[in-house]
Amino acid sequence: MPEWLVFVFLVAVFVLLAMAAKVPIGPALALSALAGALFAGEGPSLRHLVEGAFGYFDTILIILTATIFIKVLEDAGILDTVTALLLRTFYRSRVLLLLAAMLILMFPGMLTGSSTAAILSSGPLIAPVMMKLGLPRLKTGALIVMGGILGMIAPPVNILIMIMGGGVDMPYVGVTLPLLVLIVPLAIIVPLVIGYRDLRVIGREEMMSILPPALGPAYRLRLAVPFIVLVVLMLAPGVTAGRIPDIGIPAVFLCAALVGVFCGRPVNFLKATQKAVAESLPVLSILAGVGMFIQVMTMTGARGWIVMSILSLPSFLLYFGIAVSLPAFGGVSTFGSASIFGIPFMLALISKNALFTSSSLSAIASLGDLVPPAAISARFAAQVVGEPNFFRVLRHCFIPALLQLAAGIGMLLLAPFLDKLI
Amino acid sequence: MNRIKASELSAALFLILTGILCFISGRSFQTMHRPEPVFPSAGLTATHRLSDYFPPLKNTHGDTEVYIFRGTEEGGNLLVLGGTHPNEPAGLVSSVLLIENIRGKRGNVFIVPRANASGFTHSDPQEGNPQRFAVPTPSGPRLFRLGSRLTNPVDQWPDPAIYINPARQKLSGNEVRNLNRCYPGRADGFLTEKMAFGIMELIRRERIDIGIDLHESAPEYPVINAIVFHENSSELAALALLELQAEGFDIRLEASPVNLHGLSHREWGDHAGIKAILLETPNASHGRLKGKPSSSLIVDGKDKFYAKASRLGWLFVPYGEEGIPLALRVARHLAALKALLGGLAELEPEKAVEVEGMPPPAEVQKKGLGAFLHPPQKSG
Amino acid sequence: MIRIFYLLIVLYLSLHLFWHLFRQKNPWSQAGTALVLTLFLLRLFLIK
Repeated sequence: MPEWLVFVFLVAVFVLLAMAAKVPIGPALALSALAGALFAGEGPSLRHLVEGAFGYFDTILIILTATIFIKVLEDAGILDTVTALLLRTFYRSRVLLLLAAMLILMFPGMLTGSSTAAILSSGPLIAPVMMKLGLPRLKTGALIVMGGILGMIAPPVNILIMIMGGGVDMPYVGVTLPLLVLIVPLAIIVPLVIGYRDLRVIGREEMMSILPPALGPAYRLRLAVPFIVLVVLMLAPGVTAGRIPDIGIPAVFLCAALVGVFCGRPVNFLKATQKAVAESLPVLSILAGVGMFIQVMTMTGARGWIVMSILSLPSFLLYFGIAVSLPAFGGVSTFGSASIFGIPFMLALISKNALFTSSSLSAIASLGDLVPPAAISARFAAQVVGEPNFFRVLRHCFIPALLQLAAGIGMLLLAPFLDKLI
Repeated sequence: MNRIKASELSAALFLILTGILCFISGRSFQTMHRPEPVFPSAGLTATHRLSDYFPPLKNTHGDTEVYIFRGTEEGGNLLVLGGTHPNEPAGLVSSVLLIENIRGKRGNVFIVPRANASGFTHSDPQEGNPQRFAVPTPSGPRLFRLGSRLTNPVDQWPDPAIYINPARQKLSGNEVRNLNRCYPGRADGFLTEKMAFGIMELIRRERIDIGIDLHESAPEYPVINAIVFHENSSELAALALLELQAEGFDIRLEASPVNLHGLSHREWGDHAGIKAILLETPNASHGRLKGKPSSSLIVDGKDKFYAKASRLGWLFVPYGEEGIPLALRVARHLAALKALLGGLAELEPEKAVEVEGMPPPAEVQKKGLGAFLHPPQKSG
Repeated sequence: MIRIFYLLIVLYLSLHLFWHLFRQKNPWSQAGTALVLTLFLLRLFLIK
């Protein structure tokens, strides 16, 4: 059975189920994976299906625990209070507000290398502020996605580079400067492009009238505790060079959530968990389905066929291939794309400075978070701003994403020049 | 289907399906815990376990066998490590071939065929690999497990967000389960760090002079068909290279990068002062361009995508339609080992190690692996 | 120590998934939940 036929079959079954039969994406991916395995003559391959889904088990835990954290903050009234605080501080200046929002959005991603963690933890803080100041819901969603994506690739932690570096024996050292050169301009331009035109400058009166119901001053210091716990637990292992153990992102979120229970209005932790499970399950089942889908693609040789087809493009199309395939495969998994395409591209560009190459490839690959079917970041951002159709948020990410893509490709092309400069 | 009203009944139905899925896949996962039998030659003088050198490993899945072949004459001490990465089968099979054939003559040989025993008990998600591969022998196929590069998360979990290894290198979190990033190990660290520490203890307690870590790499990876050496072994590696080239093996030398820490060829030399060598052969089954993974892809090494990639000049090793079979990869490991021992005898005669009965690389290539493997155990 | 903490997290979330499975109205959503629950159970019992 030719590999391309298996691939076409897999995609066709998925499209049929998802579009025509309106099966939710997760089960549709799982069923098409099962059908693909049968079609390729591999039998039901249940072991393979479950094994593939396990590739995302850690991600699933992060998403669940991060959502619990947010639900606790919401129920405790802490989110509203933080929103009020941000409004009071920044309502006078659009530029300052946008830049501050961007930094807050990026921050958790910078520490964890996970855009999901960033979007789920700081997205709900920023979203109400922006919307109250006149930024449309969909554009707010776009700002949150781009913040998460830029946070994921911003130093100190860029997991995409770690994955690609691991494949070519490049230690994770010295990427801070190239990454800053790439990301600082984007982190300034992107929020202005998305928000400058719509954001309103308002007077003090109006600001006071839109403030959400905040908790009283008696809570003030206590409110910061869950955030402090979150940041300290994320930062401590790195700062102390491992003397304080790294308990992993899920445990960090859960600890911060447990602390959050005692820092605002009384919270029913069980109910908060139940809400988090209900809200995140569609995405969790998509991840499980995507894992099964990739496993079947690999076990039937379809993955190899795709990688080969792109790598064998003529060399003048190489940059085009990079710009398309890295984000496109990210539609299945951004980290998977860094490993499956990122490493071969690193090798193809081995004559250039690996620090610049890996930085720009990571910026390009991270855009995969926007690409369907998974489109993890876009889905979560849409959820944060209460938009059921994430494609409507994606539309507003188009120009910022193009800017980021251009910056990435630009750095690849200019690598020899930058190499001499820095 | 949307119109059918879901009820507790359908939920119960899905719960039963979950149970069935868990049962069937779980039973398949569990089979990976059955180690492949090894049938040592009559020359075996002792079998230790890694926990004999580092007791905290006892009763963990990190414990593993150390096969010892003591010679009758005084000489040096050699350590051969296979299965550091259980998805690189030539390491395991080369070690087993040695264990089932050699007798010590001069000095002592310590062989650890499954250095990361835990890694052999699971498969890498999304790699679509078979759980076992079959090496044909005259009396039927012998099965070996194809494991994962990393320790089983069931044994070591969770991974930190960022892993700072014992040599202070910052790595992506899952490398905390990669034995060849955890040297020199930590006595009170993660399980994989304890395995690394156990191997360092073995090196110290048995006064190892030279350690050889057997690996494979994807054909698109630059360090391939290579001898990677610590700078204290550069002369030895150069001598071995000459010998191998004379025998017609295309092979290259790679100096162990000084800023890449946690690897055997760096830390064995830096921390135990032994000659540290890592060998790489090309293995299509863990590459990114591989076609359909199968037992035959591992054993026969034929892959049309790699053949195409080779024609396009993408690879660091010639990869023809005829493939690079496991027998050739094992023969390369054995030839390199032989050449290194020859070099050692020349440079430091008092530390020479000599063995008898080592399968000649050319014969392994010609007759196949099966000719040198014990017949498979008849299943009762 | 951390491992036990994580197994407790998995147990806690498995129970919630189980509870959620029985409260969902749409059978396809139940299928998705069952899929995720499979992973949690296999990790909980240290099988995969």
